[in-house]
Formats: sequence, structure tokens, C-alpha cells
Amino acid sequence: MTKTGIRRVAALGLLALGAGATAVAAQATVEIVVESPAMTTGAAMPREYSPDGRNVSPPLTWRSLPPGTRQLAVICQDHGAGNPPPWVHWIIYNIPASAPGLPEGIPFDRADPMPAGLEGATQGNNNWGLAMYRGPAPPAGTVHDYDFTVLALDTELNLPPGLTRAELLAAIEGHVIGQGNMVPTYTRQPAEGGAAFE
Amino acid sequence: MPTQLRGADVVVVGLGAAGGVAVLPLAQAGLDVVGLEAGTWLDRRDFAPDEIRNNVRDWPMLVKKTEQERPTSRATAAQTANQIGSHPMMNAVGGTTLHYWAQSWRLNPWDFRVVSETARRYGRTRIPAGSTVEDWPFGYEELERYYDLVEHEVGVSGQAGNVRGRIDARGNRFEGPRQREYPMPALRWTGFHEKMADAARGLGWNPFPGPAAINTAEYGGRGGCGYHGYCNKGGCPLDAKNATHLTTIPKALATGNLRVVTRAHVTTIQVDGDGRATGVNYLVGNTEYFQPARVVLLAGYTYENSRLLLLSKSDAYPNGLSNNHGQVGRHYFSHHQGAGVTALFPFDLKAWYGLPAQGVAVDEWADDNFDHSGLGFIGGGNLWAMSDRRPIGAANSGTFGRVRAWGSEWKRYIHENADRSHSFYIQKTTLPYEDNFLDLDPRVTDALGFPVIRITGEYKENERLAAAFCQDKAEEWYRAAGAIEITRGGVGGAMGASTHAYGGTRMGDDPDTNVVDRWGFSHEAPNLGVLGASVMGTSGARNPTLTSQALAWRTAAHLAESWSTIAG
Amino acid sequence: MSDTPPPNTISRRDLLKAAGAAGAAALAPAALGAAVPTGNPAVPRALPTLATRAPVGPLMNLTAAETEILSAMIDRLIPTDDMGPGALDAGALRFIDRALSEAEADSVDAYRAGIAALDRYARYSRGTPFAELSARDQDSVLIDVQTGSATGAGAGFVGNSAAFFNLVKDHTWQGTFGDPQYGGNVDFVGWDLIRYPGVRLRVTDEEQRMLEAEDLEPARRSAYDFGQFQAGQSGGGAR
Repeated sequence: MTKTGIRRVAALGLLALGAGATAVAAQATVEIVVESPAMTTGAAMPREYSPDGRNVSPPLTWRSLPPGTRQLAVICQDHGAGNPPPWVHWIIYNIPASAPGLPEGIPFDRADPMPAGLEGATQGNNNWGLAMYRGPAPPAGTVHDYDFTVLALDTELNLPPGLTRAELLAAIEGHVIGQGNMVPTYTRQPAEGGAAFE
Repeated sequence: MPTQLRGADVVVVGLGAAGGVAVLPLAQAGLDVVGLEAGTWLDRRDFAPDEIRNNVRDWPMLVKKTEQERPTSRATAAQTANQIGSHPMMNAVGGTTLHYWAQSWRLNPWDFRVVSETARRYGRTRIPAGSTVEDWPFGYEELERYYDLVEHEVGVSGQAGNVRGRIDARGNRFEGPRQREYPMPALRWTGFHEKMADAARGLGWNPFPGPAAINTAEYGGRGGCGYHGYCNKGGCPLDAKNATHLTTIPKALATGNLRVVTRAHVTTIQVDGDGRATGVNYLVGNTEYFQPARVVLLAGYTYENSRLLLLSKSDAYPNGLSNNHGQVGRHYFSHHQGAGVTALFPFDLKAWYGLPAQGVAVDEWADDNFDHSGLGFIGGGNLWAMSDRRPIGAANSGTFGRVRAWGSEWKRYIHENADRSHSFYIQKTTLPYEDNFLDLDPRVTDALGFPVIRITGEYKENERLAAAFCQDKAEEWYRAAGAIEITRGGVGGAMGASTHAYGGTRMGDDPDTNVVDRWGFSHEAPNLGVLGASVMGTSGARNPTLTSQALAWRTAAHLAESWSTIAG
Repeated sequence: MSDTPPPNTISRRDLLKAAGAAGAAALAPAALGAAVPTGNPAVPRALPTLATRAPVGPLMNLTAAETEILSAMIDRLIPTDDMGPGALDAGALRFIDRALSEAEADSVDAYRAGIAALDRYARYSRGTPFAELSARDQDSVLIDVQTGSATGAGAGFVGNSAAFFNLVKDHTWQGTFGDPQYGGNVDFVGWDLIRYPGVRLRVTDEEQRMLEAEDLEPARRSAYDFGQFQAGQSGGGAR
């Protein structure tokens, strides 16, 4: 099995672990192509999208949405962290189907407006309890995979902000008609000395 | 050589909740009593309604005995224990009754008969595996008169639910029969309490106000509660909280038969060659004294009681005083008060002026008040909707994932919601187990170089299942009252140090499994008594203080009545 | 061997003497509620605005450079904004400085190391000293410090950055919402923010009803304005 194949299984695991598992399994889903001008599956993410840099959300694009797609949701998660896994870094939903992707730097403060074309899009709570993107911060020296999964929904759900992954999956149960992912990696360098704060 | 003091009939080690009560019947019986207290006298000048002083900085005290004796704690014997950050108790004449919540519950009759009642109703197999729980050596009926004495001597406000078998629906219909009403009416209810009570009634439950050692009317020459909001870990600036430094201790002093020594740090209990206690050694600063006494009553906190016995080694007791059966430190447990449930309401609760002893109780899910057939646990919890809000705490309340907990968005959130969250206090049946215990820590010592106590304890399946069950009931109640958000805490792991710490010197008829007999005197050293929740073998679903005070009174009264037998 | 009791033994006579003193009318419960607070609680004060914000003088425990960084952090935790005064207006910085001289003296090193790490982390990750970042970027940095994500980066925090965040946050909240006695909560701006109706020793049934009817004016006073209480350590006085 290829490395990408392993990741594909992990991506489907997203739904198998959630409340939507049964319905999704019974429903044929279309493969969405997920890409980014800044990163690709299996390669390291630029530090810009991590706390080693500005920690802004990366740009994403998607194509081959299934016909009948009305809305999209995106989850970024690390299947190799969290107790239980995954550790969720980002959740965004109520994304209009007309959006070709997400630009870099989705606002992390609700006082700031969503970019044009993403009106109504809302962020859910990641595993830090924050309704925003927070990038990879794996233990220094370890390589982790970051699964950006895009879900196509056959309905427009006006979901409230701040949903957890489990709450989102429960809310979209039976409405997922397509999905795809991109799985870049990230690793942090060990600390370079300096005074410790313990 | 310690300075040898004039002998006393009885020396009481610790003048807190239990020792502070016991001195009264002893002094009234004409016995010459010396009360040794590590702390000092405090009064209402020390009781500023100041959250930083009381709750953040943990009472800046001159006497630092408890601070220097902080226990270490671990979940299981396989782990290394770490010292806890702050001790739950304080040193003062009156002890922690100065700043406790003052909830003054009686245990329910079932709590005295957990083993036999469980066996009778569900079968012996329902006692959880590994539990060392026993029936108490007597029932509720035996303790009732002492509960009554303490309630009236100290001053407890509340609403009776069962007076001589007559059920009063305004009170707790599950309580054991009491011989008379409380001496004062219960603390008042606010609009929020009325709302919670209505919601409970809507669920078919019977809500009632809880009992408190807090005046609601002129009593004992002092006035009623001011509801100022700083009662939790705060002394009362109005002297309305019936701490023993205001009640039984001054009354005992007034007999002329009690001498109180403050800043007396007791280090060991001495015994003679026959294994009888002869008195205690204590330090005042660097000066050591020996206080001879015909009877020693040990009345420290649960951790101190086991610790002082284990530190008092002698030829007669090589493993610590009264420990030749290896029972000192056993049957320890911390009351399961965690597994909280917190709610957000869409309206202000107006909870700023209140106290944790003021609230609405539901007892339907406590003890054996409901059918446990088909459930995986015994016991349950008392659900308590109280008032407890202070500014720093309110500004630190959780945001239910709605906003980040700082910044401008948070400011808007907290401006609206600082007075809108509420947490239930749910005390649950907690059992002793063979692998939960106290002993001396092999690594950590106090300022004098003596080992501190080490807590080894974790909640087991029975506690965790009862906790989850109570959380379901609490959530049901909150929803009925209109809550819009609810969060739950974990159901429990390591026990840790607690203000409700039980066992270590358990009371029972069998010397192979208990340190003290049915009267509270050592099975091994007959003129050594032990007072406090360290003698309790079960927790019930409510605060231990009144029970430990009733037991202390009973032990003291028994000593006075059997003086020549016990004093030898 | 001696029969002399230790010096701190209290006799019945001592107790009666003490009771006599405590029984004086000045300390009678009924008189407590009538203690005269400073200021007139019946007249609500105007909320301070940015214009009234007191300049931060030199601190006792931190350098000017450290103060600038800490000040910028505190200003993001509880900002001065259209909701009204923030933590700096409340005097949280002064509260922290005073605490570092007294009750929190053990934390001086943690502050110094943490402030240095915060600035190092800002430069490493955002390329700019913390105090010079935009408010949004400062927030982003602080979020990474809060979550612990600023730990183990190539520069910045070696220990857990969340510990430093929590230390400063706890003290900022204490300095904003605690009793003004400690140098914070100036003009009760913290208590106004959370709509705390203030310190009262006795709240009558009628006052509780007024509170529930939104009809109770805030009592703007420190606990120590009552004059009944002593600050500092308990148990030192001769009783």
C-alpha cells in the first residue's frame, strides 16, 4: 500500500469514527481533488502555517465537486495525536459551494469579516477549544501528517459557530456526497538554547 | 529535655471542628482539660471579604503548620507521590470551621448500614470488589441525640424533613427521624433558588433547603447571616458562622475547666511500658513541653491523626501508636465531590450575595433512596444548587467554547455572562478500598524533618458510575430550569487531598480492621481517643463536619461517664 | 520540671477581657452595615476613558523594556476598547509589580524569563519584537503561547509557554477583578465590567429583591474601607 493509500484510509476514518458513519457508508461519495499552491501531500508544509511562522491558515483549492453540492466543510486533523485521536487543528463549515477554495489567512477573530465569496462560512472549535486555525506543533524532531479533508454536502446547513468535530459530523450526517483530502507533513526543529521558561 | 507541665485529666490535640466540640462536655463534666492548638485566636478583624486574601493567596497565616505539612498524593502504589500545592485545612482556634462552608448535614440511616442494607436489598455480591466497607458499629438512632445536641449547642439552621417519623415535605423526606426541629429556619432562597426548586418539582423531585451552622436569626448572642458572598473560605465578619471558636470553646472556657494553649505544635504522643498514653510532647517555637494527661484525645484533621500516630513510635508500638494491627492509615478515602456539571443560563442568576450553604438540595438520587436493581453501583449523590460567586472567580468562569477566554470578544461575553453560570455541588457515596491508604512519605518532610503523610488513592468503578449517573440527573435538572449550555467534568481518577478526608483511624468493633472501638477509643491504647472524620467508615452523600462533631461529643460524653474505667 | 503554663495559655479571665473588648458597640453586628465607606456609593462614577488612563511609572521588579512587553501583553488580554476600560486602566500592571514584591515574590524569575521568551518567540515566528506587532499579530502570538505551541520552537519558550500565559493571565485577572486594596481594579472598572454590585457586609432580603429587580446601586468600596479589617498576615496579634 502506498503512503498516500494509508492516508486515504485515515481520511475515511474521519467519518467512520463520527456519528455520520452509518449514513455515509451507505452513501456513495465522490472523490474531490484537494490541492494547495503552498503545499502538497507527503511534503513538508511551509513554517508560515505553523507557530514557527505566522500560523495563518493555508490556501486550499478544490475541484471535481459532485453534482448537487450545496455547501462544503473543511477539517484539518492529526490522526497521530490526541487522546483519543485525532487532534483537530481547524474546522470550517457553511462554505458556499461556489467557493473554489479558501484563501490564505482565514480570520481567527470573529470581529474580522470572512473574505469575499465566503460569506456565511463559520469556524468550529478545534481541540484547543478555539474557533480558528492553529497549525502543527508536533514534539520537536517528530514528523506528523496533517489531513486537510474537504466534505461536500447536498444541503445548505446554517450551522452555529463553535461546533466540535463530533458535533459537526453529527450535524452533516446523511448529507456528505463527496470528500477528498490533502495530507502534508510538518516537523519542528529542536530548541536552540536561550533562557528557559519553566 | 522538654519542660514538664502540670498534669491534666484530658489533653485534646487540636481545637477545630471536632476537638473544639469535645472540650465542652468534658469541661462541663468537671474534668481538667488542656486544649492544644497549633494556630492562634483569630477574630472578625481577620475576616475581610477579600477574594485575593481568602481564595487566591490561601489565607496568609502566621502559623504555617498545615502549609509545611502538605501531604503528598498519588493514585496508585506504583507511582511516586507529589506534594500538593496547598493544604485544605488551616490552623486556628476553631480550625477550619472558621472558613468552612458550614453545611451541617446528618448522614442518612443507610450510610450506617451500607453492607447489611445492600446485602438485604440486592445481595452481598453488590458490594464492590476490593472494598473494605463495613457497617458502622451502631446505627443512626444511636447518633441522633448527639446530632441533636450539636445542632442546638453550635446552632444549625435548616428545615426538618422528618420529626419523630412525621414527614415534612418542606425538608428532606429521606432523612432519619429527628427528635425536634432545627433551632433556626433555613437560609433564605433567592429567585434563582425558587426557579431551581420549581424545575425540580416539575421533574417529580422534592427540593429543600440544606442545613448550615450559620445563624439565620439571633442565636447564641450573635446575629444572622449577612449573605455577603465571601463565606467560601472566608471567616464571617458578622460572627454569624458558628465556628467552634465562637460556640463550644468559649463556653467550655467559661466553666473554668479548660486551658487553651495556642501555637502548640504537637510532635508525639507518649506511652508507658504498658502501652497506655501518658501525654503529649509539643513545641512552642523552639521550646518543647510535655503535657501529661490521664487521657489523650487526638483531634487533628484526618491527615494529622494518622500521621501523629505513625510518628509516635515506641517499644509498645514499634510501627506507630495503636498500629499493632496495621490498621492506621487504612480505609482512607477522599469524598467524591468532583465530576462537576456546569450550566449557562440565558439570564442573570443574581448570585453575588449568597453562600455555598444556601441553596436547593435534591436527595432522590443519594444513598439508597432509589432502586439500584440493574445499576452497576451502590449509593449515589446529593444534588446541591448553591450560591457561590465572587468577582475573580466569576471573571474566570468558563466560556462554554463560545469565545476565546480573553480579548475584546471575551469582554463582551463576560459582561453579559459573569452572573449566568452555575455549577452543581454533587457529593457522592465514596467507599474505602484495600489499596487506598495513608502512610508516611519516604521522601518529603515538614520543616521539623518529620515525614508528611502520603495519600494513595483513586476512585473506583463504583464511584465513577455513581458520578456519571448523578451527572445525568444534574443535567436533567439544569435543562428543566432553562440552561442553554452544559459541560461536565471527568468522572474521577486520583483522589488527592480533600476537605472531606475520611478513614485512617476507622471506628468498629473488630480490632483487626479498625483502629478505634465503637466509642472512639483505641483498641490497643485504652486511654487514647480519636476524634474527627478519620473514624468514619462511610461518607454518605453529604458534608462530614456535623457527623464528626456528633461523634466527638459522643466520645467525650462517654469518657466523662466512664472516667474511672478509661482513665485507669 | 515546671508548673508554669506556656506564655500563650489563655485563661478564663483573659477570655472575658477579650470578650469585653470585642463586645464594644463599634464592633456590634448591627453597626457593621452602617460603616461609612469612602466615596458616596449612591452616585455612580463615570467610566474612565482612554483619556483618563494613568501612565505607567517605573516598576520595582521589571526593567523598562520588560515592562513594555508585559504591558503590551496585558493590554491584549483585557483590551481597552468600545466596551470600556481594560486591564491596564484597572492598574493590573501595578498590581503585578506590587505582588512581585510581596506575595508573588517567587514569580519574579518566571516573569523575567517568560517576558524574554515571549519577545524571542515573536521575533522568531513573526520577525518583529512583540510590542511592535499589530494587535492582531500580538493576539496570534499570545494564542500560540496560550496553547503551548510556542514551546519547543527554534526560539522562544523552552519550558511550556502555557505556564507563562496562565501566570500572567491569573495575575491580570486578580489585578482587574480583585479588591482595590492591592493596587488594581482602579475606580472599580473590573467590577463594573462584570456588573458585580460590590462589597457589602450585610445584604438584606430587601436588597436582594432590589438586586433581582435591577434596582440596586453598586457599592463602590474596598473591603478595607469598612475600617473593621486588618490586611496582611493573620494570627500575629495578641489575643
